[in-house]
Amino acid sequence: MSIRTFLSVTSCKLSRFILRKLGKGGTNVPGRVALAIDPHVLGKLAKGVTTIIVTGTNGKTTTSRMIERSLEESGYRFFANKSGANMLSGITAEFAMHSGLGGKNKYPYALIECDEAAFKTVSKYVDAKCVVVTNVFRDQLDRYGEVTHTLNSILTGIKNSPNAVVCINADDSLSVSMKDEIPNKVVFYGVETEIYKNRVEEVSDAPYCIKCKTEYVYDYVTYGHLGGFRCPNCGYHRPQTEVSVEKVLESTPDSSTILLNLNGSEYQATINLPGGYNIYNATATAAAGYVLGIKNETIIDALSSFECGFGRMEKFTVNGTDIRMILIKNPAGCNQVLNFLSNNTTPSLFVVALNDRFADGTDISWIWDVDFEKLNQISDKLTEIWVTGRRADDMAMRFKYAGIPVNKIKVMKDYEQLIDAATKQQAPVYMMPTYTAMLDIREIFSKNYGFKEFWE
Amino acid sequence: MYQLKICHLYPDILNLYGDRGNIICMQKRMAWRGIQAEVTEVSVGDPLNYDDYDIFFIGGGQDFEQEVLLKDLADGKAKAITQAVNEEKVFLAICGGYQMLGNYYKTWDGKECEFVGALDLYTVGAKERMIGNYMYQCDAADDGIVVVGFENHSGKTYLSDKVRPMGKVLAGSGNNGEDGTEGARYKNVFATYSHGPLLPKNPKLADLILKTALKRRYPDIVLEELDDTFENNAHDYMVQRLSAK
Repeated sequence: MSIRTFLSVTSCKLSRFILRKLGKGGTNVPGRVALAIDPHVLGKLAKGVTTIIVTGTNGKTTTSRMIERSLEESGYRFFANKSGANMLSGITAEFAMHSGLGGKNKYPYALIECDEAAFKTVSKYVDAKCVVVTNVFRDQLDRYGEVTHTLNSILTGIKNSPNAVVCINADDSLSVSMKDEIPNKVVFYGVETEIYKNRVEEVSDAPYCIKCKTEYVYDYVTYGHLGGFRCPNCGYHRPQTEVSVEKVLESTPDSSTILLNLNGSEYQATINLPGGYNIYNATATAAAGYVLGIKNETIIDALSSFECGFGRMEKFTVNGTDIRMILIKNPAGCNQVLNFLSNNTTPSLFVVALNDRFADGTDISWIWDVDFEKLNQISDKLTEIWVTGRRADDMAMRFKYAGIPVNKIKVMKDYEQLIDAATKQQAPVYMMPTYTAMLDIREIFSKNYGFKEFWE
Repeated sequence: MYQLKICHLYPDILNLYGDRGNIICMQKRMAWRGIQAEVTEVSVGDPLNYDDYDIFFIGGGQDFEQEVLLKDLADGKAKAITQAVNEEKVFLAICGGYQMLGNYYKTWDGKECEFVGALDLYTVGAKERMIGNYMYQCDAADDGIVVVGFENHSGKTYLSDKVRPMGKVLAGSGNNGEDGTEGARYKNVFATYSHGPLLPKNPKLADLILKTALKRRYPDIVLEELDDTFENNAHDYMVQRLSAK
């Protein structure tokens, strides 16, 4: 044990303790403190810990919660970074909090959700046994740059993880292209069929073959650029899967039921969250479970019993009004939320909270790539749309140009007033905030209505 | 009934960062005034009969797909685009689309790509990206409009004296972060680094572009005023934020 490690861990724990006493989340700052004292402290804290990493553009948190449930049910002793702090500082803090003052970790396993860009650094320090790549989509381009840049970050991360089996989404032509660049064993998972009857119109993030730049041909599309792709020129195509969804049996506002093929055996599985994108998260989870040697039945159980929270269809009931919070952050994710909302049968109030701080992405141009025009088809199920957050005016304008009648759009910049008014409506509320807007709104939920803080 | 035809060039390749917001905006602002807008998408391999259109829109793109584009330009579109520019067709070109109208792009490690050459300007790649909300003011000939937008480019663009800048930078980097210029104006070309939804939150600029195109067809047309409360709120919020810095 080095003095430096000791100081680093002690200050991390102490700063977390003080921040929590002050009523703050303290998810990143303690990690920054630890790293300032010892920049390589994560390597020491992660020593001897078998780590499962979940990365990719969309679905990291939900997939992590599903994997978490299957680990719990299998009796693993592990910890996870639950609060969504998925950068180097947040992950370092999580490892430090679960270590003794000497830096020895108390757990044999860690389940880590990791930001795509941070993965290339984090992977230098942790020994990953399994890396799950959910998908690669255009994300906050001011931070991540082009999708190929994101892909390269993930590739570097995998190259730093020689002991890992990598789970890759077979339907994502971008992710699949990594296969030829890595020596690791790869398990492909995917969906063998269309999943939506009606889909939003969206631009593909990868229309041209990543190998030879010819336009792909698709046997079917699930959403975005995901599906049965093949290149008519060079023959690059969707690979065979070991874990796959054969059929979607039922979709309800609360869940989906699928026919899942787990390495040759078929299971009927119910996923405890609605939406086609959660079918992918469940399939990624099944692939990770297969890699980790978790029993098939345990995986299936976990999919129906896991709880996600933290802005993933999280339900708050205030004064008898159901408020569902759905985090939005990029066009692909937001379009999937709209696909889900288009099937809504009860007239509801929609609220969008758009911030443009660093963690949200400072560039809000992406709201124009979301097919909000789709909402016109369900206008009778839409009581009003309220907009809030730093860029509320831009959001109001987007809805105006999407064809929503101006008298249905309300700008309400004060969160407390907004929540108060929303809970007095006689309709369920779907609240769609960006990341920092969600943190702000949660704070009001916990202060005014006694809900737990997110780190509790 | 008044009518305009818009050509959206390479919509499947040059469509980064919500560029389609500009098409939506032009369509709506015409529809609200009872003017018909027809949008045609023209991409790789499609013929471009430039005389069929009044307005050309070119968005920004990713480097990865640029090669597909360069070949298609060389196969005939570069010539058609240059003719359209010289015959005073209206263009709105953004970021990568703006660079593409120039003579060439030189990457920071010295590779040179030949572009359309319709505008006498060139772009040199730099290692540092210029990213963020920014603001510029058009000159008096364009009503001195103050434009707010978001820039995200590593290319530094330099104009020859045949091309005037679209505006003077009030906050942010602009063409190259050095000479205080932003964008390019040449005949009826409006070219800028302000990507994504440029027109919705700059309704005066949107109307100036539409008016320029409409006047070529209908010299006596008068554009009806619209209720731009939402648009102006979004515009003024960013002006205030950038002025406070």
